[in-house]
Amino acid sequence: MFDFSVITCWIDNLLRVEWGLPDFWTLAIEFVLVGVALLTAYALIALVLIYAERKICGFFQCRIGPNRVGKWGLLQVVADMIKILTKEIIPIKRSDKFLFLMAPFFVIIGSILTFAALPFGLGLQAIDFNIGVVYILAVSSLGVIGILLAGWSSNNKYSLIGAIRSGAQLVSYELSAGLSLMVAVVLAGTMQLSEIVEAQSDLWFIFKGGIFAFVAFVIYLIAGHAETNRGPFDLAEAESELTAGYHTEYSGITFGFYYVAEYTNLFIVAAIATTMFLGGWMPLHIPGFDAFNAVMDYIPTPIWFFGKCAFCIFMALWVRWSYPRLRIDQLLKLEWKVLMPITLVNLAAVAVAVTM
Amino acid sequence: MDIASITASQVIFFILAAVILAGSVMTVVSRKLLHAAVYLLFVLLATAGIYFLLNYHFLAAVQISVYIGGILVLLVFSIYLTSQVGEKMDEPGIVKKTVTMLISMGGAVFCFWVLCTGQFPYADQIHLNEIDMHAIGQSLLGTERYQYLLPFEAISVLLLACIIGGILIATGNTKKED
Amino acid sequence: MNDLVQLMRPEMLLLAQVVFLLLFDLFAPDRARRHTDAVACALFLASIAVGFLPSTTGEAFGGMFTVTAMTQVVKNVLSIGLLLVFLQSRVWLSDERTSFKKAEFYILTLSTLLGMNLMISAGHFLLFYLGLELASLPLTTLVAYNKYSDESIEAGAKFVLIAAFSSGMMLFGISLFYGAAGADGLYFDVLSSRLAATPLQLLALVFFLSGVAFKISLVPFHLWTADVYQGAPTSVTAFLSVVSKGAAVFALMFLSFRLFAPLFEYWQYVVWALVVLTITIGNLFAMRQDNMKRFLAFSSISQAGYILLGMIAGTPLAMSSVVYYLLVYLVSNLGIFAVVSILENNSGKVHISDYRGLYRTNPYLSVVLMLFLFSLGGIPPFAGFFSKFFVFMAAADQGFYVLDFIALINTVISLYYYLLVVKAMFIADSENPIPTLHTDSWSRLCLTLCLVGTLFFGVFSGIYAFLSSGAWGL
Repeated sequence: MFDFSVITCWIDNLLRVEWGLPDFWTLAIEFVLVGVALLTAYALIALVLIYAERKICGFFQCRIGPNRVGKWGLLQVVADMIKILTKEIIPIKRSDKFLFLMAPFFVIIGSILTFAALPFGLGLQAIDFNIGVVYILAVSSLGVIGILLAGWSSNNKYSLIGAIRSGAQLVSYELSAGLSLMVAVVLAGTMQLSEIVEAQSDLWFIFKGGIFAFVAFVIYLIAGHAETNRGPFDLAEAESELTAGYHTEYSGITFGFYYVAEYTNLFIVAAIATTMFLGGWMPLHIPGFDAFNAVMDYIPTPIWFFGKCAFCIFMALWVRWSYPRLRIDQLLKLEWKVLMPITLVNLAAVAVAVTM
Repeated sequence: MDIASITASQVIFFILAAVILAGSVMTVVSRKLLHAAVYLLFVLLATAGIYFLLNYHFLAAVQISVYIGGILVLLVFSIYLTSQVGEKMDEPGIVKKTVTMLISMGGAVFCFWVLCTGQFPYADQIHLNEIDMHAIGQSLLGTERYQYLLPFEAISVLLLACIIGGILIATGNTKKED
Repeated sequence: MNDLVQLMRPEMLLLAQVVFLLLFDLFAPDRARRHTDAVACALFLASIAVGFLPSTTGEAFGGMFTVTAMTQVVKNVLSIGLLLVFLQSRVWLSDERTSFKKAEFYILTLSTLLGMNLMISAGHFLLFYLGLELASLPLTTLVAYNKYSDESIEAGAKFVLIAAFSSGMMLFGISLFYGAAGADGLYFDVLSSRLAATPLQLLALVFFLSGVAFKISLVPFHLWTADVYQGAPTSVTAFLSVVSKGAAVFALMFLSFRLFAPLFEYWQYVVWALVVLTITIGNLFAMRQDNMKRFLAFSSISQAGYILLGMIAGTPLAMSSVVYYLLVYLVSNLGIFAVVSILENNSGKVHISDYRGLYRTNPYLSVVLMLFLFSLGGIPPFAGFFSKFFVFMAAADQGFYVLDFIALINTVISLYYYLLVVKAMFIADSENPIPTLHTDSWSRLCLTLCLVGTLFFGVFSGIYAFLSSGAWGL
C-alpha cells in the first residue's frame, strides 16, 4: 500500500528544514495548501456526482441523459457551473437580507467541516481527531441551521414549510444515523477514524460484524439518505407541493451552494458508511488468503475508498429514482417507531456480543 | 503584554473572545428574535472554538452537537411556531434602558474586577493535553472518585422526567378541558 | 455492593416506583388503572416505612454521595410531606378533566423527590446541581398541569424562567468556586479545605446563595412566588410551598455546615439581611392579600425567613431546630392547603372573603383550619409555638438578639393576618356562605394526620429530643 504521508511529510520537511521557516509560517502554509486541496476536491466531487446523477437517472428512466456538450455530455456540468456562477443573485423584496445571505454558508460550512475529517486514503486525512465520529456527527448538524434560516428569511410560505419539514426530518434522523454508527465504534473499540479503518484490516465490519453490522449499515444508509433530503425523503423540497422548498428564492451562486452541498452531503454519507462499515480505504483482506491480500494491496487506497463510495452512492441513486415520496407522518413514523427501536436494540445487542 | 511575544494561539483566542463578546451583546440587544438566535449561534460556535483551541475536542464536539444541533434548532423551531416571528420587539423606554445598562455594566465591571484581582492557586492542576476518549468513557461510567456514574444516571432520570413532563403538557384529552 | 444498596435505599426505591408507575400506566388494563392513586400511595407508604428501618451511613461513589443520620431523617420528613400531598390531591386528580393524566402527577412528583434526595446527599457540585434541576424542571410541568387555564400556563412559564435564571446564577457561582479551588474542588470535602474567604470565593458564595435563595423564595428573590402559587393547581402549590422549599432549605443547611463553615463570618452578614427582609416583607404583603393562595405564598415567604433565622446560628442546636421547624411547618401548612383544596374543589372559591360564615356551614373544617393557622402563627400550645421558640433560642444562643427582636415583632404582625382568616370564618357573616360540604375520606385522613402532627409534635418533647440528640455526623 502506498502511504500518502510520504508526500505530506516531504512537504513539511521542505518547508521546515530546507527553507528553514518558523513553526507559525510552516503551519500557515500547510493549512492553506490543505484547504485548497479540500475545497478543490469538494467542488470536483460535486461536479462528478451531478453528472453521475443525471446520467444514472437517465438510464433508470430509459433515456440518455446529457449528451450534447462534450463527449457523452461530459462537459454539461461544467457549462452549468459557469452558468450558475455568472447568474445574478436576485434580492427578494421584504426578505431578511442578513439571514438570507448567511444561510447558504452554514449549509456549506457544515459539509466542508465534515469533509475535512474523512480519510480518503492511507495518509490522506486532513484532521484525525481522537473523537472522529462524534466530531462528524456534531458538525454535520450545522447544516440544519442553514436550512431553517433559509426557509424563514426568504419571506415565502413554501420555503418556510419546506424548512420546518426539513428541520424535523434532520433532527429525527440524526438520532438513528448517530446510533447506528456507534455499532461500528463498539466493534472497533475506538472513535478515531484512522483506527476504525485499521481495525478492519483483516476483514471489513460489514462481514466481520455479522448481523449487527449489516443492520447498522442498512439503517445508516436509510437515515443518512434521509439526512440528505433526497427522495423518497425529499419532502422539504417536494417540487409538486412546495416549488423547491427552502431554496426556492435563491439564485445564482447562493443557489449553487445548496446544490453543491446537497451532492457533497450525498458523498459524505457514502464516505462515512464506507469508513465505518466497508473498511474505508482498506483493501479487501480475507484472513488466510495471503496471496490474495497481497494482490489487493497493489490497488491504491484512494481507489478502494472512492470505489466503495461509488457503490453506496449508486444505491442511494437507485433508491431515489425508484420509490415514491413519503408523507410527513410516514416519515416520522418510520424514524421513531421503526428505525430508532431497531437501532437501540441493535446497539445494546452488539455491546453484549462484544463483551461476551 | 508585549506585542512581539503574542503567539498564534493567543491571536486566535482574542478573535474568538471578541466574537463571543460581540455576539453576546448583540443577542441581548437585537430586537428581532431570530436575529438574536443567530447571534447566540455565533457565541456558541466561538465557545466551541475555544474548546478546540484548548484541545478539548470531545467537549467542543459535544458543544456543537448539543447546543447547535439540538438547542438552537429547537429554539429556532419555537420561534417559528410562535406568532411574532418577523416583528420587532418593543423598544424599552430610555429610563429603563439606562438603569438596566448601569446595573448590568456595574455588575459586569465588579465581577471583572474580582476575577482580575482574584487568585487561581489551583489553575496548574488543569491538563491542557488532549484527553483520550477511553479515559473519558471510563470516568463517565466509573464509581470511584473522579468518576461520574451517579451524575450520569441522574441525568438520565432528569431527561426521562422532562420527557414525561413534555408529553404531559402536550397531551390532549378526548374531553376538552374547561 | 450491598453497602451501596443500603446507602442509596431511598433513592433506589423512588426510582423503582417511578419506573413501575410508568409501566403500570402504559400496560395495566383500564380497570386496574382506575386505582392508580391507591397503588401509588400504597407503594409510597411502603417505601416510607422502609425508610424508617435502621440503615448505614457513609459515602458512596468516591465522596459523590454522602449519607449521615441527619440526611436520612430529612429524607423521611420530605417523603412524609409528599405522602400528605398525595392524600389531599386525590379528589382533584379524580376530576374527569385531569384523571387521564394522573399517573404522570405521581411519576413527576416522585422523580422530583428523587432529585431532592440527591441534592441533600450530594457531595459534589455536579450532583447537587443535577438534583436541583431534577427537583425543579418536572415541577414546571406540574405547575402548568391545568393547561387550558391561562393562570396555570402563566405560572408554568414564570416558574420555568425563574428556574433557569436561578440555575444560571448558581452555576456561575459554582464556576467561580471551580476557578478558586481547582479541578477537584467541586468535591465538597476538597473545597471546604480550600475555602479561605478570598474576594473571589465570596463572590462565588453570593452567586450561589442567590441561586438557592430563588428556590427558597427569600426576599428579594421572591417575586415569582405569589403568581406561581396562585396559578398552580392547589395540590402542586402545597408541594411547592412545603416539600420543594423544604428540600432546598435542607440542602442549603447541609451545605452551610459541611462546606461554607470557613466563610461563616461573612455568610452571617448576608443571612442577617435576608432574614430581616424576608420576614418583614413577606408579612407586610401577606396582610394585603385576599386570594388564599397568594396569602399562603406570602405567609410561606415569611416562614422561610424564620427557617433561615435558625440557620444563621450555625450550631448543631440550630440544625436540629431548623429540621424541627420544618417538620412542624410541613404538617401545619399542608393541613391548611388540604382545607383550601377541599373548599376549592367543591365550591371553586379561594378568596378569604368567600370564607365568611364558613363556621356555620362547615364547623369541623373551620375549626381544623383555625388550629393550623394558630400553629403557623405560633400560638401555644400548638407545635408552631415550640418550633419558633427553638429557632429563636438557637439564634439568641449565638448572640443575635436584635434579629430575634425583629423576628418577634414580625410574629405579632403575622398573628394579625392569620387571625384575619379566622375572623372571616367565625365572626363575619355572609349572605351566601360556602354550602356544607362532604369531605372525602382521603382528605380526612390527610387532615387527621396533619392535626395529630400539629398537636403531637408540640406536646410530645421526644421528637425534638430525638432531633437534637447526637452530633448527626457533622
